[in-house]
Amino acid sequence: MPDWVIRSEGFGKRYGKRQAVSGISLAVRAGELFGLIGPDGAGKSSLMKAVAGVLKYDSGTLEVFGTDMARDAAAESVKARIGLMPQGLGQNLYGDLSVEENVDFFAKLRLVPDELARERKEKLLGVTRLANFRTRPMKQLSGGMKQKLGLVCTLIHAPELIVLDEPTTGVDPVSRRDFWQILAELVSSQGLSALVSTAYMDEASRFARMALMHEGRVLAQGQPKEILALRAGSVVSCVPHEQVRARAALAANYAQVEALGPRLRVFVPELAREAAEGAVTRLIDAAGGATAYDSGEAELEDVFVALLAGSHTSADAGEASAAPAAAGNAAAPAIEAISLARRFGDFVAVSDVSFTVREGEIFGLLGANGAGKTTAIKMLTGILPPSSGGGRIAGVDIARELGCVKSRIGYMSQAFSLYLDLTVSENIRLYAGLYGLTRAERAARLDWVLEMAGLHALADTLAAELPMGQRQRLALGCALVHRPRVLFLDEPTSGVDPVGRRAFWDVLFRLSRVDGVALLVTTHYMSEAEHCDHLALMFAGRIVADATPGAMKAALEQDMGALYEVSGEKAPAFAPVLAAAGITGVSVHGRNLHVLCRDGARLTALAGGQGGLQVRARALTMEDVFVERVRALEKEAGR
Amino acid sequence: MNALSRWCLQLRVMFGKELRQLGRDRVLLAFIVYAFTVDIFLAASGVSLQLKLASTFVQDVDHSSASRELASRFLPPYFQVKGALEDERAADAALSSGRAMLVLTVPAGFGEDLARGEPTHVQLQVDTSNAVLGFLAASYAEQIVARFGLETQQAGKTPLPVIENRTRVWFNPNQEDSWFMGISELLNVITIFSVLLPAAAAVREKERGTIEQLLVSPLTPLQILLPKVLSMTVVILAGTALALFCVLRPCFGVPMAGSVPAFFALTALYVFTSAGFGLLAATVARNLAQAGMLTILILAPMLFLSGAWTPPEAMPEWLAVFTHFSPLYYFINISFGLLLKGQSVAALWPSVFDMMALGMAAFAAGLLRFRRQFG
Repeated sequence: MPDWVIRSEGFGKRYGKRQAVSGISLAVRAGELFGLIGPDGAGKSSLMKAVAGVLKYDSGTLEVFGTDMARDAAAESVKARIGLMPQGLGQNLYGDLSVEENVDFFAKLRLVPDELARERKEKLLGVTRLANFRTRPMKQLSGGMKQKLGLVCTLIHAPELIVLDEPTTGVDPVSRRDFWQILAELVSSQGLSALVSTAYMDEASRFARMALMHEGRVLAQGQPKEILALRAGSVVSCVPHEQVRARAALAANYAQVEALGPRLRVFVPELAREAAEGAVTRLIDAAGGATAYDSGEAELEDVFVALLAGSHTSADAGEASAAPAAAGNAAAPAIEAISLARRFGDFVAVSDVSFTVREGEIFGLLGANGAGKTTAIKMLTGILPPSSGGGRIAGVDIARELGCVKSRIGYMSQAFSLYLDLTVSENIRLYAGLYGLTRAERAARLDWVLEMAGLHALADTLAAELPMGQRQRLALGCALVHRPRVLFLDEPTSGVDPVGRRAFWDVLFRLSRVDGVALLVTTHYMSEAEHCDHLALMFAGRIVADATPGAMKAALEQDMGALYEVSGEKAPAFAPVLAAAGITGVSVHGRNLHVLCRDGARLTALAGGQGGLQVRARALTMEDVFVERVRALEKEAGR
Repeated sequence: MNALSRWCLQLRVMFGKELRQLGRDRVLLAFIVYAFTVDIFLAASGVSLQLKLASTFVQDVDHSSASRELASRFLPPYFQVKGALEDERAADAALSSGRAMLVLTVPAGFGEDLARGEPTHVQLQVDTSNAVLGFLAASYAEQIVARFGLETQQAGKTPLPVIENRTRVWFNPNQEDSWFMGISELLNVITIFSVLLPAAAAVREKERGTIEQLLVSPLTPLQILLPKVLSMTVVILAGTALALFCVLRPCFGVPMAGSVPAFFALTALYVFTSAGFGLLAATVARNLAQAGMLTILILAPMLFLSGAWTPPEAMPEWLAVFTHFSPLYYFINISFGLLLKGQSVAALWPSVFDMMALGMAAFAAGLLRFRRQFG
């Protein structure tokens, strides 16, 4: 019998009338980094709290270290062997205490002997590179550092199992990678078992095994390759000549078609790469043709979406009209930022930001928290007056004719600012009235928004009762109710499941390509940056890169080399070998290694020397670009 | 659509939105209804500032007929003699445990001294931890003792000329506490809600982030704030009507001597005035909890500077000046004037004018801060 750390059978929990989770059966082995992946409200937190012994459950069984967690006394006895880090940045820490005082407090709370506590503290602060900040109050740490401190405090009593609830949510991509690296090191060096949840699909590769959760159920469970095998298939992408037509042709045959900037990406179930590419080529040739074909294996997110599509109806919101795309080159500038700057006292939030977004273009503004994205958007929408510089919306100056600008822009803020105590149609009518639409227009636009968001059946439901995906589409509808020519979206997809996110991007695609609306999007999901035609990367209030996603990746490949994945039984043991050989860009992903290096032949040769290792090239992602660029900039700023 | 009708449409949809949101908040609605009915009923019927059956103990060392005569004069409804005490220690214990409010000690030789016509004394110990009741108990007891002394002295002699005092009680002939307390409580409730409701409505928008959505739409700050105040005014007027016509008049017979429409009009003006303070608080607070605490901070001085609890004349001079900055000070004048005294609006005009000036200043300050905060 294998040494299970956590076992559950038919686990269920309800809050009042709402069933949060039901029928969860899963098992976590000792020494394993196990992931719970799912969007907000999937039931991850309920399960994790029950595992940590801080939440009673209603049905099924749950055993931790072979102890039945339903009995209070028993649950109390295993708590000493468990460390829990709750959701939220620094939620379990004390803001006014310093880094060291926080660690000491948790050591005392857990009755760790002084000598042992000191030893562990030094080691953990060293591993997490917090040792230089030991006197700094917790509230002055960055998000990533707070989470690392949280991890130290969770580990100070040397638990055998740690339960981390969304440790990377709200943390910028650079710190996220850092966190995973540290966690992987600790798990392997201390023989820990870890149960970790995340809402980011692209973090799935970090886990040895995982469970995909959705609406309180487990959709699939196992190693990444086992889950991928559930929906075998390939991914084909290309740059079509007529994107809207080609998309319609593909969507008629395949459920998962995405527009990524000028490209189309389609998941072809069951076929291998060559066959899939052939099938897609035939379809697109009949719809205008395409160039730059590329194919690869499906990602976990494709499989997740395919699994979800099996469990509920596909969220395809209407079909694109066959109107030709707006001619890209001749399009007029819709948003112009001209040397925008904003200071708050001595702090420079945004400095000298200039960019142009054309009609029908999707423009992405990327950056870590605090890089100045939201401030830039607020200045362009007239919420915040700039300290210097200015901007034009559809040729109209923001400073001079704010009223005129306001009626031409739509704005969708973080967290979908809807009135939750109003119904769907009341929300839409409110905004229609605020924009001064006539009675007839109001009725027509109400209908249009309900249709676009697929909410006709829910028109009289309170917004609070909608799931996040529908809330998001309602918020988009409210922002579009007055037919704006320019749409600002500030982190529009936080907390929405992958299916909802894809449906949302479909709507944005149609808006830009068919209606010629200019879109400015900020996002911290780096995978979403791929949807944009054009990107600007912000760092410390400045724009440090401004190009298409393809050009950014090409530039990184030029500078740092290509990305390779090393897989095989002995892959973790290969990392020190690489380090000895002077290859630095190595990161641990579950049982595999990702290596960024310029000399692929040398890497293959090194791996060949180990035996049993496979090396294969992987496409660079926008996250790779972002992380490497920001690291370089941070190094520069540090000097 | 021309500019004016557009402006009105925007105001109308915002106004409707506020009322709908309030209507969906069952807990808040229940609280409002409770405050305007049950709370006022309890205040009017329960709270009394009169001395009733103060528990009295007698330590009679003298044991004479005079001492028994004096003790027997401490009678209901003001006093009730609960028992006798042996010694000083027992008296102390009775006072500090709260069993006794008043202890009367008659020393040895009291009766003989009186009979001889010589000056003598008694001791009264009063628990004044409740200052009002303590004061009343002490002064009533003093009167009883003085009267007893006078009568004993006069006994058997020709009566001296006596001045009889004939008091006329105006506006509240039976001196019913329930009228004063009921109306005071109504004014307090109006004050609390007129500060709290607009503050809460404004802060909720900030908390949910909907304020940004409103700011990017073609609305002026006035169009965002005014509908909140207007809708809450409507709600509070409805509550006031409920309190007046369903509680104060039928249950306690409050007369409403003056013009009722004038009272409602001036209440609306008052709500508007106080709402300015609430909006000012909302621009400072970041969330509902902070707004709640800030409104308490605003309400406390507003209530005790108003003169509802202490007349301004009884305050230190420097503090009395500040009563003029509490809108409730003016509203109390207006309300008692209209409801009990039956004054005309013309007679109340100075109060109305001052209150209006104060309200416009607060509202303008709130609007200005809001504008500065959100550009």
